[in-house]
Amino acid sequence: MNRRLLLGWAAAITLLGLMPAARAEEPPIRIGMSMPQTGGLAGGGKASLLGIEIWRDDINARGGLLGRKVELVVYDDKSSASETPAIYAKLLDIDKVDLLFAPYATVPTAPIMPLVKQRGLLLMGNFSFQVNSKVHHDMWFNNAPWGPADSWATGFLTLGQKAGGKTMALLSADQEFAQNLATTARDVAKKLDLNVVFDQAYPPSLAEFSSIVRAMNATKPDIVFVASYPPDSAAILRAVNEIGVGDNVRIFGGAMVGLQFAAVMENLGSLMNGVVNFNTWLPEPSMYFDGTKEFFETYSKRAVEAKVDPLGYYLAPYGYAMGQMVEAAANATKSLDQKGLAKYLHENTMQTIVGPITFAENGEWKESSTLEAQFRGVKDKNVDQFRSPGKQVILFPDRLKTGDLITPFEKARE
Amino acid sequence: MQRRSIAFWLGAVVFLAAMLAMTQLVRNEYPFFAGYVILQFVVLAVAWTILGGYAGYVNFGTNAFFGVGVYTAVLLVKAFGAPLPVQIATAAVVGSLLGLGVGLLTLRMRGIFFSIATIALAIIIETSITNFRFVGGAAGIQLQRPPVTAPFDSYVKMLFFVQALLVVIAVAITRGIQNSRIGRGLHALRDDELAAECTGVPTLRLKLLACVISGALMAAAGAPAAMYLQYANPDSAFNLNYSVSVLAMALIGGTAHWIGPVLGAILLGATQQLLAVTISSEVNVLVLGVMLVLFVVAAPKGVIGLVQRQPKRRGGSK
Repeated sequence: MNRRLLLGWAAAITLLGLMPAARAEEPPIRIGMSMPQTGGLAGGGKASLLGIEIWRDDINARGGLLGRKVELVVYDDKSSASETPAIYAKLLDIDKVDLLFAPYATVPTAPIMPLVKQRGLLLMGNFSFQVNSKVHHDMWFNNAPWGPADSWATGFLTLGQKAGGKTMALLSADQEFAQNLATTARDVAKKLDLNVVFDQAYPPSLAEFSSIVRAMNATKPDIVFVASYPPDSAAILRAVNEIGVGDNVRIFGGAMVGLQFAAVMENLGSLMNGVVNFNTWLPEPSMYFDGTKEFFETYSKRAVEAKVDPLGYYLAPYGYAMGQMVEAAANATKSLDQKGLAKYLHENTMQTIVGPITFAENGEWKESSTLEAQFRGVKDKNVDQFRSPGKQVILFPDRLKTGDLITPFEKARE
Repeated sequence: MQRRSIAFWLGAVVFLAAMLAMTQLVRNEYPFFAGYVILQFVVLAVAWTILGGYAGYVNFGTNAFFGVGVYTAVLLVKAFGAPLPVQIATAAVVGSLLGLGVGLLTLRMRGIFFSIATIALAIIIETSITNFRFVGGAAGIQLQRPPVTAPFDSYVKMLFFVQALLVVIAVAITRGIQNSRIGRGLHALRDDELAAECTGVPTLRLKLLACVISGALMAAAGAPAAMYLQYANPDSAFNLNYSVSVLAMALIGGTAHWIGPVLGAILLGATQQLLAVTISSEVNVLVLGVMLVLFVVAAPKGVIGLVQRQPKRRGGSK
């Protein structure tokens, strides 16, 4: 009996001894988001999520954020705007997350902007385009290198003008992203005094572009700005390959979505040669910052297991950078107070794997880092070639430039 | 008033009172966000049943009517800053006119040809809206909600109650049709249109009426969605998912009685909401597909077919 009593006391004391440790173990910091994992935006959404997950694993390996583990609460929004309001209401009211990340792309993000503004919450954006222009939320930080709305077209059209371009053709898909860009391209063309000789929006389902390319060729443009989505980007390049665009075209491309994704790039191969197109990260010497190389080493391995884009240049490093920015703000303010974090993000430059990031008043990057790069020497059916520098030479912005434009377009295609 | 009618209206009052009480007592907003979507699908599924269930004309254009409702509201808000009741009422009128137009153009087709024509309708309207810059065009449009009206303390709670009101209106109309000469006429033309025509049933007029009412209700259900999302773009408003989900809800619930689509919408809508925040991956699409296949194989007459062991001799169960 005495021995039992002794054992009982020993167990009780041991338990009591453990209790302070248990109390000291703080609950994890929960970051909530929806992410397109099915539907049209799923390819990008999965790569972006993998980037965020790599940051979570890195920070947890380093002991967590403010000494607490980081946990992600992620739901699939099916790439649809109608799903996100309920998902974010659940994240806030049921899951009680500490911080919010926005889903990838503009459409799923747009409906949650009023919600976060109403509740005074910090929202880290994820590659949206001008989604805060009407809402004016002062705690919104768009994690995308777009910068000012017109910077995208400015980079491309300035390159074209410097190459001797005076007239412009504009070919755009009749969808949200492409039309936003087409609008800014028209404005920039006006500012640069470029004459728009061809302006054609085409339905998103269009698969055959030879007639449009012929009509465009008839106007003899010097600059061809294309704002297209992956299937049409491929179809346009095939039509151009068959018909050609003539020696008058100094520069071709601009905003062709799809030419950033490994599967499309592998598929199109040499058809992309000469095209000058936007991108967000490329394996060029000017693009490596502290931690960039290590990130892509990890990403390449995990992308195979996760079955996502094997290159992951377009979105994944920005997912990681989003975590880094929150980490910098939380460590500096030593708190998760959303107003404090927002103040820090507004007032400071954050060092990330995609370079230093400073936000403007409207929550967009102060300075654009949207790259305009020219495809060169691309061979068919080889995805690994894109891991080496020189395949996409950066022409714009000047501070990241790694080469000069080869013009005219027909010569650059050779 | 018949005893069943009294019970129905009593039930409707209790339902609305419960929804109103919920908006006043529950502080957490998530149930209202999720509940709004379920109620919206109840209205759509019930409206679909008028034409698809009673008349047997399978309409794949639910998204067209829903999207027209959304964009009518967007247009009214952008042009005049119209209040919510005006948005809904106007959407219903526009939806009914669209229903009339569609009916006149397509109701002479039958079976699969009618269904294909309704899909084409959705594509035509979506393309038109995509090119209508005033309502945002392809880029979409963000909307600002006006201040909320008492006794509600949040706009989502108010929209939830408005949608509950629309459910009662839609169910009452559908029930009224089911129990009237119109309903019996629609059943007759569903079973054999030629025989119905020969026996004096004004088939085209009845189909047109069904199309008008169904279109009005679907568009009315779409109108508050503009303010629910505070954003509208053609891709989301005219998403084919609305048509497919509503069809599945009606089939799973059963189309012979108004309660079928109500049950189907609650069952499938709730499952969709639950899966979105639990499984939350490609698997939830699979789960819904499997559910539909199981019901089609095991219960071709839906939930109400399972409940009603023997079919009633006379149409018009109350």
